[in-house]
Amino acid sequence: MKTNLSSPFPTHSLPCINTITRRDFLARTLRGGAALGLAALTQVPPFARRALAENNLGRNGKKLLFIFLRGANDALNSCIPILDPSYNNTNRPNLFIPPDAATNYATAGACDFPTASGNQFSYANAIRLGNGFSALHPSLRFLAPVYNAGDLAMVHRVGYPRQSRSHFDSQAYWETGEPNSVVREGVFYRTLLESGLYATNPLAGISIASSLPTSLQGSQLAVTNLSDPTRYDLLGTPSPTADQKLMNSILAGNNVGFADKRSRGLLTLQHENLVNTLNLFSTIHFDEADNTFTDPATGFYLFPTTGMKNGLGTAATNVVDNGAYGFFQGLKAAALILNKTDAVIAGVEMSGFDTHNNQGGVTGDHADLQKRIAWAIYALRQYFSGSEADKVAWNNLCVVTLTEFGRTTIQNSNNGTDHAEAGLMWVAGGGVKGYSGPENAYVKGTNGVRRSGLIAGAPGDTIPWVTGGSGSMFGVAGRYLSRAVDYRSVLGEIIREHLDATPTQVSNIIPGYATEPELGAQMMANNSSVDGTPIMGEVDVV
Amino acid sequence: MNTSNFGLFLGVGLLTTLPALADGYTDPAAPTLTGGPASNAQHRLSFTPYPSADVLRMLRSEPLGAPWIEDVSGVFSNLTWTASAPAGNAFHRLEVQPLGSNALLTATVLNKLGYGPTPELLDRLWQNSGNNSAAAWIAEQSAPETITERAGLAHTNIAFIQSRFGTATNPIPGSLAINSGPGTASTTDIQAWLALNAVFADRQLHEVLTQFWENHFVTWMGKSANFFIGAQYRDGFPQRAACEWEWREVSRWREAMLRTNWTFYDMLRISAESPAMITYLDTATSRGNPPNIPNENFSRELLELFTVGVDNGYDQTDIVAMAPCWTGWTVQLVNATNALNPFAPQSTVKIDPAGPNAFTNLVGVWAMNFMFNRHATGAKTIFPGKTVPARFGPPYTTKTYGANATAGLYELVIPARTTTNGIVDGYDIITHLADLPFTQEYMSVKLCRLFVHDGFATGYNFTDAATTPEEDLVRACMAAWEGASPKGQMRPVLTAIFNSALFRGHGGNAHKVKTPLEFCASAIRALRQSTNGTGNHGTWLAYTDGYGLTFSQGGDARSQGNASALMRIGGMSLFNREAPDGYPENASGWVDAGSLAERIRFISSLCKPAAGTGSTSKNDQNTSLLSNVTDPVRLLLLRLPVVADQHDAGKVADLFLGLLFPGEGRASLDAYRHIALNYLNTDDTGNSPSLFSGLTISNASGSAYDNRVRGLVAMLMSLQRFHEQ
Repeated sequence: MKTNLSSPFPTHSLPCINTITRRDFLARTLRGGAALGLAALTQVPPFARRALAENNLGRNGKKLLFIFLRGANDALNSCIPILDPSYNNTNRPNLFIPPDAATNYATAGACDFPTASGNQFSYANAIRLGNGFSALHPSLRFLAPVYNAGDLAMVHRVGYPRQSRSHFDSQAYWETGEPNSVVREGVFYRTLLESGLYATNPLAGISIASSLPTSLQGSQLAVTNLSDPTRYDLLGTPSPTADQKLMNSILAGNNVGFADKRSRGLLTLQHENLVNTLNLFSTIHFDEADNTFTDPATGFYLFPTTGMKNGLGTAATNVVDNGAYGFFQGLKAAALILNKTDAVIAGVEMSGFDTHNNQGGVTGDHADLQKRIAWAIYALRQYFSGSEADKVAWNNLCVVTLTEFGRTTIQNSNNGTDHAEAGLMWVAGGGVKGYSGPENAYVKGTNGVRRSGLIAGAPGDTIPWVTGGSGSMFGVAGRYLSRAVDYRSVLGEIIREHLDATPTQVSNIIPGYATEPELGAQMMANNSSVDGTPIMGEVDVV
Repeated sequence: MNTSNFGLFLGVGLLTTLPALADGYTDPAAPTLTGGPASNAQHRLSFTPYPSADVLRMLRSEPLGAPWIEDVSGVFSNLTWTASAPAGNAFHRLEVQPLGSNALLTATVLNKLGYGPTPELLDRLWQNSGNNSAAAWIAEQSAPETITERAGLAHTNIAFIQSRFGTATNPIPGSLAINSGPGTASTTDIQAWLALNAVFADRQLHEVLTQFWENHFVTWMGKSANFFIGAQYRDGFPQRAACEWEWREVSRWREAMLRTNWTFYDMLRISAESPAMITYLDTATSRGNPPNIPNENFSRELLELFTVGVDNGYDQTDIVAMAPCWTGWTVQLVNATNALNPFAPQSTVKIDPAGPNAFTNLVGVWAMNFMFNRHATGAKTIFPGKTVPARFGPPYTTKTYGANATAGLYELVIPARTTTNGIVDGYDIITHLADLPFTQEYMSVKLCRLFVHDGFATGYNFTDAATTPEEDLVRACMAAWEGASPKGQMRPVLTAIFNSALFRGHGGNAHKVKTPLEFCASAIRALRQSTNGTGNHGTWLAYTDGYGLTFSQGGDARSQGNASALMRIGGMSLFNREAPDGYPENASGWVDAGSLAERIRFISSLCKPAAGTGSTSKNDQNTSLLSNVTDPVRLLLLRLPVVADQHDAGKVADLFLGLLFPGEGRASLDAYRHIALNYLNTDDTGNSPSLFSGLTISNASGSAYDNRVRGLVAMLMSLQRFHEQ
């Protein structure tokens, strides 16, 4: 019989010398629902040391909600350079959004908010943005009130050096904050890691998606993902009354000491996370019946999760297409979690932006997707501005969209657009530096100067939008928008300024942030060190 | 006594017998004892956990040097031993008897070379004699052509679905009226078919490898369907045609793997020639000569994901240089007789041209087709001047590659080729890539991650003195690859893994987390015993109809609550992965709190009784989940035939602990056993005692005994260890 003997241990009256095992270390350090990663247990994890340091990151009451637009949104048909003669019927025969003959797009002022007649999207022309040059797609109509309140910044021509036109690579680069790197560790994961919040908060981050996105993945701490929050409880066998019995058994099972193996730390971590968040979420009303939030301005439901709650349930009041309900279920869950728990970062995603075929113009697939973006931002503002605001109000929330790249300037032979380079980011929130009023509204300047809510999208910008056949729309390879802003500068500014990270922390979250001139903690950096492209650095949106 | 003297007692543990396997398998060092006398007249020793500990004994010597005798005065509980304080001084040491090496290897192979243990396979391999041992099972599974496959008898859906595959008699898109027979299988059919085989197949390793290659050379059925929509197919036909592509591709891989000398090149070629791949990564629409810019998608993924691995021997310029070589590889609807002729013209056969509706749609087979007028005809050079890095060492750095005269240089020069000769470019590339050291390394790493653990990577320096067991195993795989004739045979590579000490010891056991497919299939298999030994349809104590795991009633994971178990647990839609990297193999790709909740819900649903007409509690809002069925009480009655045992909570707990966690050993499972006993002896709330021995034995749905046992099994399968393989 094979046996294995330990070393003799004296059990007579000896002082006990306590050897701290790795498991003990974690147990001692992180009791109380702490959900820390156990992937590298052989040493004191560096994040645990950092967590002990004083820092404000994620502790200033401000929160972040990100929306990943998967497939690559066609920026040129979102924030339209309507006065650029190259934005025309020839380049985009089926996609072109016609200007309104009665509108002078060169006029500076507030963004038009066209009146609805018959249905919410009856206006079929480009909506004047009011910066003297640009327009919004008509399906983005509900962005106008947010824009005019100064709560929306749109950053055009966003990309990164050596832009990949592969969805797979480019989504990963946006999510990891490291272009052209094989690192698969999320930028928001690193934000949470750097904050040390996990030492005290079982739910610092949350994702509502089919699976945990790369942006929140990493080996040292566990972020909860829910594919459907209404299902986030245990079913129980034989009946739901046995739920608690099952839960108690799982809890007891979590405390059993087994020999360490490669995935056991992660399993323990996420099972603890499960038990902690199940209890936390049991107090939040995710059910459809509790989705009663409405817009004071219109009476419409804020979260159109069913046909009955799309506007007022009538065709005339529909604010989104009927394929949007799943997305808004997720968005509602993310909003509720940010509002009712101590979660600091929440993420949702919307897919379908890879519009190679039959993209549509004023109406169609892309128009429908954009309705969702606009209503999402509009609804979040209303939800967090009203009496529902609990753990976070609109003034302390930042909503940001990400998408892997923009799409080709010229439409393809399938009435769609192909993969290109620079794209568009929306940044919204009560603290966002957006449109500041009618005077000189089109001037994008330094702090304190009146400004529009569009950055890098007009000829008057720091890095001017050049119009015409050899202009900005053809900046790369004669086919693509070239970048004027690096996405890392926008995310970095949000993490630094909004979530209150120190410069060192931002550099840990976005490698090279302090040193690479094109990322630039400083405003208006200069030329990219990589390829000489003029780059703005941080764009002062929060 | 000071600490340095104390250190005398913290020496190396004693291994009292030699390992049973002659391959370097060793048990880890003994646990470390800590602790000391507690104040309340007790003392308590703590010890570090030991993998797969089967029996623990506390030994006592008084004084040191006297014989060690077992001290039965204390009790073990979750890494502690507690006893009344002894009168006088003594030394204690802990004796660990690990699980036997055959038992450990049984758990490893059934979880890694298969979709989990079944009661009958455990019974067989635990015998540890002749053909009935873990080692014998490895040999058997490694030669699937020698195993009689009986999966078709186990569930009629396998034959039913297989009757719907193929194109022979009813070419896609077929007559609009036909909904059975060849050519009518759709997305959910092929998904269910794969799941059924995972659960029922005798050739388990064959099934594991089928999913491995399908996932490695990933294609996306949804994109294929989209292609057919573009080709003016409507209704269910785009999905049927997409399914047919997947079936053709996976059938070729499965056939190839039944040959004794199948190679990586075989697999790669099948993928490259697959219409699903040609469409998926946009080669189908790529054009070569200027002003066209060839699509780089396939070239990028061929290098990054399918052969050499990311950043392993290539750069962006190689992707760009390779892209023109693949132009012209497209798909075409050809006559069925031309299915294997890449130069065939478009089909001219029309559906029912003379019938009352006079359909003029063309019919035939959508096959790989080389259109030379799209091909970039010029010469190309890939990997110009690139040599094998020194880290690979000989023979890789000292041998020549292809037409290169310089050792280590792996440049690939492709001459200008016109007309149909252009098709040779692609074959030149895959021939060149298939056996490059980078490919050998990357594929060996992927196979090691599949069968051993997640901690393998490319980039080892194979020439320096410092090695790890992981690096050594990758090197051994590469040696098997390189040494075979012809090169690149996969069976020797797999054998290198299965014979390694790393695989056979604790390093290969339970370090990985099951994928959603593995998790669901293993849950059913764990309880799947034949009631009468025939193993025919209808005699299993646990089964699925296949669709119960994979069928989504429309839409995405959030729509209408009808997504399949695999979708719920991790968005795993078989044959239908959108991203080209395939579903993850690593634990962090699957494990988060939300997905664990869905795993537990699946288990709860599986373990609920099937009865209860109109009840939605069983089906977890998805009626197809009704088709995952277990009867754990009948399993219990079968395996514990003595009535007194059926009332014995301890024996019932031990039965299911043994079936569900065969790799852990009794001592390691002791705390789980306490949880199980507590579960059996309390009521549904868990708050009030309700002795298991007092329940009337019954497997009637709703009876207290049935409920208690079903609850117990569901609970045990909801614990952490059941997620591992």
